[in-house]
Amino acid sequence: MAESTFNILKGPSGCGKSTLLHQIVGMKAAKGAKRILGGESFDRNMLPEWRSKVTIMMQNAPLLTGTVRENLAFPFRLKNSGGRTFHWNKARWLMHETGLDHVKPEQDAKMLSGGERHRLALVRALLWSPTVILADEPLGGLDEAIAQRCLDLLQEYSSRPGKAVLCVLHNFDHLEATGRTFNLP
Amino acid sequence: MQKFTFLSPLDLLIATVLVLAAGTISILLRLGLEKSLAVAASRCVLQLGMVGLVLEKIFGIDHPLPVLAWLAVMVTLASNEAVKRAKWNYRGITLDAVITMAFSAMIVGAIVTQAVIKVRPWYSPQYVIPLLGMILGNSLNGISLCLDRLTEHLTSRTTEIELLLAFGATRSEAMAEPLQTAVKTGMIPIINNMSVAGIVSLPGMMTGQILAGAPPIQAVGYQIVVMFMIAAANALGSMSIATLASRRLMEPHGRLRLDRLNRSKKPASRKKALGKKG
Repeated sequence: MAESTFNILKGPSGCGKSTLLHQIVGMKAAKGAKRILGGESFDRNMLPEWRSKVTIMMQNAPLLTGTVRENLAFPFRLKNSGGRTFHWNKARWLMHETGLDHVKPEQDAKMLSGGERHRLALVRALLWSPTVILADEPLGGLDEAIAQRCLDLLQEYSSRPGKAVLCVLHNFDHLEATGRTFNLP
Repeated sequence: MQKFTFLSPLDLLIATVLVLAAGTISILLRLGLEKSLAVAASRCVLQLGMVGLVLEKIFGIDHPLPVLAWLAVMVTLASNEAVKRAKWNYRGITLDAVITMAFSAMIVGAIVTQAVIKVRPWYSPQYVIPLLGMILGNSLNGISLCLDRLTEHLTSRTTEIELLLAFGATRSEAMAEPLQTAVKTGMIPIINNMSVAGIVSLPGMMTGQILAGAPPIQAVGYQIVVMFMIAAANALGSMSIATLASRRLMEPHGRLRLDRLNRSKKPASRKKALGKKG
């Protein structure tokens, strides 16, 4: 994948799109996989560091037990955060952009609806700002207008220098990739 | 000190009347327990009888080797039992349990027998075997609880752990919460026991010493040592088994290996008992 591109991963359901994304981040076994980012090669022992740069947004937008704020801020406390800091103002702005104004920071994250969870996951990924975002159906449970807004954010992110997005999408067949389209048989 | 009252075979026979009474109640109330009661009582007599014979021999030889051999047998049996009680197992679980038991029992046992009670000679079976037995018997419970909690956390909150990994968490970061809750769970029984010690009932060891004619204050002293010893063994044991298990269930670079987990087959008697409760 090239820098500043929006790439799409396509294929019939059950063909292994999610599995492939999990293999890219080494959460599923992938024999002989080579992981190269910006000319730097990452071996098995460097997987945690790789994942902090190539971050997967998993299907169904899982959340940690805890508040909304904790769910947004936890990655910034990890050893591999690479000096990134959590800015609540930035989070607030992204939540506004994704239509999450009504969600309070101290609210229990488990009380969020499916659509709200997906948007919170998107906010977290954008805040985290990895080199590559691997998004596995990031727009699940969203109505058309909000889904389009979230997609715009994701596409805008992918166009920034030094970034790229690989996305698995449903119901967006007309969407054109600015980078490559990968078709799984 | 009061005299020790020796029990004759006739005394034991009289005690049998008590268990027969329990059997009669089971028959009268149609509890259907008389068979299990008979089997359990016979097992109790047989097992204790055999242990008594072995201990008499070991006490007679007065050499460290048989004592150490007996300890090894106890560690193996306790590990097996801890593994059998856990709801999930994985390849290598018995080895992990043996390492844990040996490690925690050895450290705590050495401190108690050598530094606190100052047993002479160091292997004196009269002290070493019952004390280590108590450590192992109690760690067993803590270890199986801890294992259950760990596997339960990993299987029921898999997505949360994967979420941490997805953002670059290392193995120790991703496993921190499961480990904490598991070790905590492993330590709850001994904390409960310590806080009610003497109020609800006299602890078993203290009762035994008082029956054997020891002054109550001395018995209390020993009981405190034993409680602290069990607490330390439980803490060390839980920490050790949780660490070993989490290493088997997550690879160093942070990939969960829940495919290595298998549900344990429950012993038939326990399944029945659980069924009845439900």
